Amino acid sequence: MNRAYIGAMMELAQEDANVLHLLADSGTGYDELFGRSFPQQMFNFGIAEENMVSAAAGMASVGKLPFVFTAGAFLAYRALEFIRDDVCFQNLNVKIVGMGSGLSWSSLGPTHHTTEDISVLRAIPNLMILSPATPNQVRACVRSAYEHPGPVYLKIGMNQEREFFAEDYQLPQNGVDVLREGKDLAIFVTGSILEETMRAAELLAQDGIEARLLHVTTLKPFAQQAVLQAAGETQRIVTVEEHNIYGGLGSLTAEALAYNGIGAHVLPIGMQDCFAKGYGTHAAVRRANQLDGAQIYKKIREVWP
Amino acid sequence: MANTQQEELELQELRKQIFITGYKGGMAHLASCYSCLEMLYALYVKGILNYDPKNPHWQERDRFILSKGHAGLALYCVMQRAGLIREEAVTSYLQEESLIGGEPCMRDSPWVEATTGSLGHGLSMGLGIATALKLNHSSAKVYVMLGDGECEEGTVWEAAMTAPAFGLDALVAILDCNRIQKMDFVEKTIGAANWSERFTSFGWQVDEVDGHDMEAFQAVLTKENHSAKPRLILAHTVKGKGVSIMEDNPNWHFKLPGRKERKIFTQELGITEAELV
Repeated sequence: MNRAYIGAMMELAQEDANVLHLLADSGTGYDELFGRSFPQQMFNFGIAEENMVSAAAGMASVGKLPFVFTAGAFLAYRALEFIRDDVCFQNLNVKIVGMGSGLSWSSLGPTHHTTEDISVLRAIPNLMILSPATPNQVRACVRSAYEHPGPVYLKIGMNQEREFFAEDYQLPQNGVDVLREGKDLAIFVTGSILEETMRAAELLAQDGIEARLLHVTTLKPFAQQAVLQAAGETQRIVTVEEHNIYGGLGSLTAEALAYNGIGAHVLPIGMQDCFAKGYGTHAAVRRANQLDGAQIYKKIREVWP
Repeated sequence: MANTQQEELELQELRKQIFITGYKGGMAHLASCYSCLEMLYALYVKGILNYDPKNPHWQERDRFILSKGHAGLALYCVMQRAGLIREEAVTSYLQEESLIGGEPCMRDSPWVEATTGSLGHGLSMGLGIATALKLNHSSAKVYVMLGDGECEEGTVWEAAMTAPAFGLDALVAILDCNRIQKMDFVEKTIGAANWSERFTSFGWQVDEVDGHDMEAFQAVLTKENHSAKPRLILAHTVKGKGVSIMEDNPNWHFKLPGRKERKIFTQELGITEAELV
């Protein structure tokens, strides 16, 4: 994902000298590539995320287009007030890119996990939130963020995510992609955990249950219509996210239904209001927290045997 | 060096306006406003800041950020004096459908370069602006006014570290050192402040000045910077300057006078009771 990100950034930097790549000493691993080609457009602020976010707002007020990049946890939590006051309240054209989304930093534990960022940031006005699942989606999101004239939070994973989208993928208008058709239930998923959710859908299909699988990239503004339509057709909704079920995709989905007076059963799969257990590979930590394909499948079967 | 008699009259008019407006609005950080009033006046009215009063978006303008946003009312009154915002905006302060609030806010005037109020944001914003201006090969300067209490915020020091590393010689921080924060004296809160040593050790060019002496302040600010470093102007001031009971007294950080105290304000500032209604 980081490779895709820096590739997309280099394309933008080539086209537009106002595009800036800002770092807080935790880069993509490919920043030298960027720095070699665009030395004037890259700044490392050191380990000072709040300062970086606020400075980015200052740069944007002069017409620059800064993308700040570091671990999502250090942006969404540590720099929250700076995102709120300096970027969002002033409505300045800053892109906030949080890497290591969800449990990606599996072995470092919850200080490095980003499992509450959607809840925290979706409460802030003026901020668009994008959560791609694959490298091709990352590329498209960087482009969409660039074209959106205002604050964007882009959360990206970093563990060799499997590709499900075409090379020339573009983010659809409503930010939702259908990956499988099905009429028995609808699964909404966001971010890298798409891969595990796809596996769960395949297991369901082996049981003769056809699940419609939809990936939600744009969490804010949220495409309510896709949820309402799925609820009308299947009555059974599952949400999967590598994030607390409070305030994230599960909540967005339930709100969309309730606010529109539509009744449907929503099964929220994600972190059940807890910090993640376990250490090790991303796959191992997902297993330890019942977020691997097999356990996602199992949870769905428990509710709809 | 000092202020001329004419300037003193204008400063007194501004103190009067700040008090009347704040009093009518029911809320103001008067003491914070009065400690930096001369500096704001010098910046906007005496020609330190380079701007085109007809075009707030002129790219080559100098920027000023009031990071100690509590003095927003003083900033707005000085901006009105400089012809940048309308009198109606200032008189609407905290009234029904108020056009301005208690802290400087970008959405309320194109002349506000940064929305402040939460402390420890302005220097970082100014650092970003100065970096962008440098990329644009601009000769504009960026001034950020900090409070000394504000320097307890960690981000001030994040920015203080980065600015010399980025070679931002167009960045000028003005430290309104009135020695008082909300609950007490700064020194009683965090010990000896040593701002000059601290900023010097972070790589800043430091000058000290009496923040109430506009001529001296202007002389320091208009001095050429050959150091290639960002500058800190350590301005020694008196919090609440101009009203005897408020001067150098921590009780007045966020307070309007009661009936008895009001007499002292009106007498010393030359305000009639009718003007407060």
